[in-house]
Amino acid sequence: MTTASASPSWFARWRQRLWRLDAGDRGSVVLRHRRIYILPTRRGLALIATLAIMLLTSMNYSLSLGHALTFLVAGLVAAALLQTYRNLAGIAISPLAAGEAFAGSAIGFTLSLANTGGERRGVVITPRSGASVRTDLPAGATRPVQLSVPAPTRGRVALGRVTISTDFPLGLWRGWAYVHFPLQGIVYPAPEVPPRLLPPGLEGVDVRRSTRANDAELAGLRDYHPGDPLNRIAWKAVARGAGWYTKQFEGTGGGGTLEFTWSELPPGLGIELRLSRLSAWILAAEREARAFGLTLPGTDLPAGSGAGHRRAALTALALFPVDSAP
Amino acid sequence: MIFAPASAAPLARAQLAWLAALVAVAQLPLWSYLPIWISVAGSGLIAVRLLLPADHPLPTRLKRWLLPLLALAVGVGVRMHYGYFLARDPCVAFLYVLVAIKLVETRSARDGGLLVCLALFLALTPFFYAQSIGAAAMAFPVVLALGGALAALREAPATTAAWTAPLAATARLLVQGIPLAALLFVLFPRLAGPLWGSPGTAGARSGLSDRMAPYSISELSLSDTVVFRVDFVGPPPPSALRYWRGPVLSRFDGLEWSVLRRLRAGRFPTDRSRAIQYTVTMEPNNGVWLFALERPAGLPRPPLDDVTAVSGRAQEIAALGYDQQLYAAAPVTQAIRYSQRSVLSDRFAAVDDNEFRENLQLPRGNPRTVAFARDLRERSGSDRAFIAAVLDWFRNEAFVYTLAPPLVEGERIDGFLFDTRRGFCEHYAGAFVFLLRAAGIPARVVTGFQGGEINPDGGYMIVRESDAHAWAEALLDGVWQRFDPTAAIAPSRIERGLGAALPRGEPVPYLARLDMTWLKSLRLHWDAVNYQWQRGVVGFNLQRQRDVLRDLGLENSRPWTIVLLVAVVTLLWGAGVLGFARARHARADPAVALWSRLCRRLARAGLPRNPSEGPLAYMSRAASRWPQSGALLQRIGDAYATLRYGPGDTARAQLIEKLRSGIAALPRARTLRS
Repeated sequence: MTTASASPSWFARWRQRLWRLDAGDRGSVVLRHRRIYILPTRRGLALIATLAIMLLTSMNYSLSLGHALTFLVAGLVAAALLQTYRNLAGIAISPLAAGEAFAGSAIGFTLSLANTGGERRGVVITPRSGASVRTDLPAGATRPVQLSVPAPTRGRVALGRVTISTDFPLGLWRGWAYVHFPLQGIVYPAPEVPPRLLPPGLEGVDVRRSTRANDAELAGLRDYHPGDPLNRIAWKAVARGAGWYTKQFEGTGGGGTLEFTWSELPPGLGIELRLSRLSAWILAAEREARAFGLTLPGTDLPAGSGAGHRRAALTALALFPVDSAP
Repeated sequence: MIFAPASAAPLARAQLAWLAALVAVAQLPLWSYLPIWISVAGSGLIAVRLLLPADHPLPTRLKRWLLPLLALAVGVGVRMHYGYFLARDPCVAFLYVLVAIKLVETRSARDGGLLVCLALFLALTPFFYAQSIGAAAMAFPVVLALGGALAALREAPATTAAWTAPLAATARLLVQGIPLAALLFVLFPRLAGPLWGSPGTAGARSGLSDRMAPYSISELSLSDTVVFRVDFVGPPPPSALRYWRGPVLSRFDGLEWSVLRRLRAGRFPTDRSRAIQYTVTMEPNNGVWLFALERPAGLPRPPLDDVTAVSGRAQEIAALGYDQQLYAAAPVTQAIRYSQRSVLSDRFAAVDDNEFRENLQLPRGNPRTVAFARDLRERSGSDRAFIAAVLDWFRNEAFVYTLAPPLVEGERIDGFLFDTRRGFCEHYAGAFVFLLRAAGIPARVVTGFQGGEINPDGGYMIVRESDAHAWAEALLDGVWQRFDPTAAIAPSRIERGLGAALPRGEPVPYLARLDMTWLKSLRLHWDAVNYQWQRGVVGFNLQRQRDVLRDLGLENSRPWTIVLLVAVVTLLWGAGVLGFARARHARADPAVALWSRLCRRLARAGLPRNPSEGPLAYMSRAASRWPQSGALLQRIGDAYATLRYGPGDTARAQLIEKLRSGIAALPRARTLRS
């Protein structure tokens, strides 16, 4: 850690160290004793209370074997604590990828859990919101873990603090650690439902309006990436068992180039509705394999097509600042 | 993959099976101590639960009414059986069934957690009744089942998973926890007395009592139960001198001899130069008597090896009564050890004149005996001559020593002395004292133990209930003197024990027999083991704890020193367990261990592996960083990748050797860095 000029106060440093509220983790984080917390679970507390009662009884009745049984189980509980610690210690966690999603669905993040030690069982990864994921890690294994976080609104969504916990082996102790990576995904505006008709193309007359989208020149196949539209997947190749590929098309598709312009949308439309409509249009254009351009206040994307162009356009919509509308 | 909190989840079949097994093994040791209907009901409920579906045993309405009613019925039944409820035994019986009822209504993992706690407490209760090696052994299955049930509750085991896996895991945890358990067992402060109330005093179990009525006993059954064990300093005295003094019975009502309670302290002998020393380890018997050889030369002390405790112990563990009997300060509810000194002697001075009067008391009746005694006294010249004449009379007439005497009705002493003439020590001691009192000589009955068996296996002496004996004392010239009329009839009883005295054909308590069969020898070996168990584990109390602390050199340390010691040892223990686990893992796969070592070395050299980086990619990155070792690094990467991800039939040993030699040939981290 560098002692930068903007060195935080000791309070902030401790708060960060204890709770990891800021996204301060970089690269790979190895869980060590400085990060791992362990407290008894409710069941553990009940068992410890039982042991206390047993100890009092043994003392009152001078039961030597009662002492022995109590301490034997106490030793078991203590050994379970160490195993709980050991089940977490040494796991290396690193951020792999942030996904993309449309508002109202869930956005996926991928972390990598690398296990350099012995077998780990019942490791639970819990994002700040959203469902936990439970996984076992065999000795020496590296596992990607997909977390999905609800994405109610458009914009950037941070993965936030992630809790890695376990109650292995007996469920008497819960060990956990926080990691907080600066991992952010982008949530695009939800496409308008039902979708409106596309605006007319630039060429004025839609000469090939009647033809179908997949009449466009097939340029070739590339490896499938998560998120590619379903109708672009080379299903024949999948059926043959050749693997997952995505079809790529040459040039523009059916109806020629489209131009989506903010100012040409109906004037009474609210900002979010405009963004939703544009989002739906972009998807429709892509489905029909037509090139499109996007003009927003402050942003001007020249016409183009393909996954990169689509992502750029949707990202522009997702990050459209509320106050920049005219 | 979705994680649901375990507590709310309904039970799986395997989880239920673990819980049922836990309850069953926790109940098992209690079977012999509970009324049979409790045992059967409690265990029957387990079977009932196993017949019901795991996740939804009973309709809610039925559950709401049936189970509380059942619990109430059992409570009423227990109350009726014992006659009281708020005491140890009925509560154990109630808990026994309650745990089973809880099992019946358990349908979720949360219920299961509570059940586990109840069953664990139930596993403690058999120790109220027995703390033998067997009782201890029966607790281990409970702890194993506890671990299995907890592991199962945490995560429902797949039906295909081996049921032994959680057992093995629990056993491993147990082994890891044992050092800590032993430390706590030795160093956790023990109490001198109970925290609250008196530990149960139900049922006196001693072979002796404070009263004696031999004439209404038709068959005396003496058991092999051990009453106490003795370690002598030096050679033990001969059997004929081993009179272990117990309750002294002065009162007689024509049927029963009983103790006369008086608050006078006895006196110890002034000349203790020839005192012998020994240590007595008494089994708990709920009695108030401590036993010493006649006659005690001092109060019982904490054992000899506990020198710290001898000086300035404010609280004595016993007191000496006017009748030379040692009274414990509290009933012997747990095994105790004490060191005792005795001067072997058959006489001692009376405390005061009241004793003369009190020990002449006679009820009306038994005219034949009274007449016989007066007549014999007149014919004898002195009290001593009279006593010798009585003993001669016993010796010469046809008296028989037997444990199965005929019942005597009406005038008990007359009937015994002149009609039946068959009896055991209590008959003879009682009749002898009666004769003396009738002749005007103060006399009383002394009960206790006589003899005892030397265990050749441990060099100590065992005194059993079958060694119980009764003899007499007469007050002559202000001095109490011991007479044993049984010795006149059956001298071998005194010299060689019960087995030698009984006529052929009469049943002898097994271990009182004289012949040394291999079975008896085996039982003596077993007794020696038990004795060590009793001394070292069950009898581990405040005294023994002091001994251990003294051996550790900690006898004068403050409590916080010991707390600190426990903390340090606990830390060392934790480090040891974690280190052991790491070493075990390293042994598990040499390829992974070698690879981790290489990664650590390269990381020190400034090139850490990215978590997502495979061996080939990492090694080619390293090769471009250190071209001079490039080929070597590539080979290492290939070998490791083949080992980890290659087909299973590769020559592993060769590859591992290749990996090892490759890593060995690599320059040190410092060389790489520079």
